[in-house]
Amino acid sequence: MLKTSTTDVVPEKKVEANSDRKFKLTAKDKYYASIFVGPSLFLLGLFVFYPMFRTLYISLFLTNSFGNTTLFVGLDNYVKLISSPDFVASMWVTVVYVVGVTFFTIAMGLLLANLASQKLPGIAIFRTLYSVTMGVSVSVAAIFWLFIFNPSAGFFTLLTKMLHLPTVNWLTSPTNAMWAIIITTVWMHLGFVFLVFLGAIESVPTTLYEAADVEGVSSRYQFFHITLPMISPTLFFVSTITIIGSFKSFGLIDLITKGGPTNATNMLVYRIYNDAFFGGNYAKSSAEAIILAIIIAFFTYLQFKFLEKKVNY
Amino acid sequence: MVKYKKFTMPLILILGIILIGLFGKALSAKSAAVKDNRTEVVLWHEMGGPAEKSLEKIVTGFNKSQKKYVVVPKYQGSYDAAIQKILQTHNTNTSPAVFQAFDISAAQMMHSGFITPVQEFIDKDNFDVSKISPVARAFYSNKGKQQSLPFNTSQPVLYYNASLLKKYGITPPPVSPSYDDITRVAKAIYEKSDHKVKGMTVQIYGWLLEQAMANAGVSLTNNNDGHTGFPTKATITNPASKEFFEWIRENQKAGDFMDYGSGAMSGTNQTTGFLNGKVGIYIQSSASMSQLNKKNKNELGITYFPHPNGKKANGVAIGGAALWISNDKPKDVQQGAFEFIKYTLKPEVQAQWQKDTGYLALNKDSQNTSILKSLYKKHPEAKVPSQQLQEAVPNNFNSGILMEGMQKTRQIEQFAMEEIYNGGDIHRALKNADKKIDDNLTTTNRANGRSTK
Repeated sequence: MLKTSTTDVVPEKKVEANSDRKFKLTAKDKYYASIFVGPSLFLLGLFVFYPMFRTLYISLFLTNSFGNTTLFVGLDNYVKLISSPDFVASMWVTVVYVVGVTFFTIAMGLLLANLASQKLPGIAIFRTLYSVTMGVSVSVAAIFWLFIFNPSAGFFTLLTKMLHLPTVNWLTSPTNAMWAIIITTVWMHLGFVFLVFLGAIESVPTTLYEAADVEGVSSRYQFFHITLPMISPTLFFVSTITIIGSFKSFGLIDLITKGGPTNATNMLVYRIYNDAFFGGNYAKSSAEAIILAIIIAFFTYLQFKFLEKKVNY
Repeated sequence: MVKYKKFTMPLILILGIILIGLFGKALSAKSAAVKDNRTEVVLWHEMGGPAEKSLEKIVTGFNKSQKKYVVVPKYQGSYDAAIQKILQTHNTNTSPAVFQAFDISAAQMMHSGFITPVQEFIDKDNFDVSKISPVARAFYSNKGKQQSLPFNTSQPVLYYNASLLKKYGITPPPVSPSYDDITRVAKAIYEKSDHKVKGMTVQIYGWLLEQAMANAGVSLTNNNDGHTGFPTKATITNPASKEFFEWIRENQKAGDFMDYGSGAMSGTNQTTGFLNGKVGIYIQSSASMSQLNKKNKNELGITYFPHPNGKKANGVAIGGAALWISNDKPKDVQQGAFEFIKYTLKPEVQAQWQKDTGYLALNKDSQNTSILKSLYKKHPEAKVPSQQLQEAVPNNFNSGILMEGMQKTRQIEQFAMEEIYNGGDIHRALKNADKKIDDNLTTTNRANGRSTK
């Protein structure tokens, strides 16, 4: 017993002695650090940092038909983009989409999670049903929703016909197309968000609710004053990943609207892809990519600065 | 021992890399050894579905027909995506020897400096091209020099539901209809069906706008659609395109026009609508015909692409794609590529191709083959697109638009069409489209070091 305890103490002392000295890397430390960090730094450099700086570099030039830089134009590409009504419209569309998707995903996710957290017989069936969209891939979801939105034989069209309502042109009118994309994206995200919220709600101590029940507090009050504050870290996490995720949304747009009609769903990421691989204008799309990176960085910063303070850990 | 310990990690890494290198080399050597002594000619194509099967039949036929070359077909996805792949892989060992590139990329390929114009091989082999459709040839030639040879060629045609017209006692439109002829039929379908069947639709598709301009004999850019110099200005705002859109608007106002939009499924939705008898008339590539014939319960009617009122049709340009020879391969591989192209243009090969896919046979002699004769016997209307192709006399307006960045231009055209279909001012939409194309042209010409006058 005694022996083991002494051996336990010895290294601790050593550590203490070490930390008393000023923190300094020895040659050996540096050697080991380079071995451990080196490979990942090399890979990151090759696949993340190099493309990033290369994009920045290309965005300051004009590119010819093969994508090679030919003429240095400085910030000309950026000035052109920001002064083009098309690009500004695209930014607005993206913001509307991101706000819409984040709001509805979180609201629906919370609602469903709260419902499914009730202890009722057979609730497991609903939990499975609500999280089922997690297992659906983007292409399957797109095809599925395209059938629903089909103007001649779609589910919505048949429904409105049965109820003798005017048919809604889901994908041909600009405003409706935006709604169609938002609905589809929310539906896609919902399964995951629901599951995360459910986990968070389940982990709230039941004693808090029991105390509230004793006080005779309404269940709505309980939700807003116990559940919501207690799951705020999860809320923060979900809002961050939903915002970043919807900024980068691509698959559904490509498969459902292709950015149309009249650019109503031409989000930034889709525009970048389009300008590079259809237009062959790599300079322009590089500039757009840099602008998108700045916007996402800005939103992430805002969230960490303001939202994180309100989070109740 | 401890002394060497710090070398172990880097050593393992280096050894690993060498091993992978060696292994990779051995693998590629192995795959090279499997080949016999025939020259390999890699073909990149974008034919999916039934057309791919049919293309593979052609390739097998070619490989059996001679002992010198072996063509290896590789599917590359959509036309649109293939262009950048072709340009970006040039001069690497993955690049193709012969590739299929679609109509609107012609200028891009021509000016890329990556291709050997087929004219060189035509002159060397004394290959007689006079049998190949002149309109199709003109599309892929520049200043009298053949750059590539057309392979799969389509024509925009107008399809109508002939059974429906019979049912309501409507006189069918003439073979070469004017806009008014179509309006008459479309309105009659809508009225006589008690507003249950829409009269017509025109898909939001830049190709159709281009064809309307070609058929009216006007150009989309200056320098005669790029046939006499690099285009510097777009000229979409002209009376002919306005007349085209006013025709559509007139039908929209009458209520007989169906808008299927421009999304990913608009083409499919439109075809489904036509097959289910929800819309009576639509305009599409002649390549849809084999599909329509297979699935249609109704009798199919076909006419030429409609032309402006009170004018003679100038003839439309072709659609589809051509086969190009890449100049980064050795001489014998390029020769093999040309041998393959020659094979694809044989009368029987083209006839079978038309029967299988609906793309039009380009060789005049194909019309006399038993394959096409039996097809026309079964479907007499299948002759109409071929007639339209044969009647057209090539000029600068119907020989395609030799402009780089046509893919982007298509999107700009579609944007304008969407604006107009949603009730926007026609003149303003077209003016905006011109402006956007001009901007792109200025950038393209600057980036490639050309004067922008």
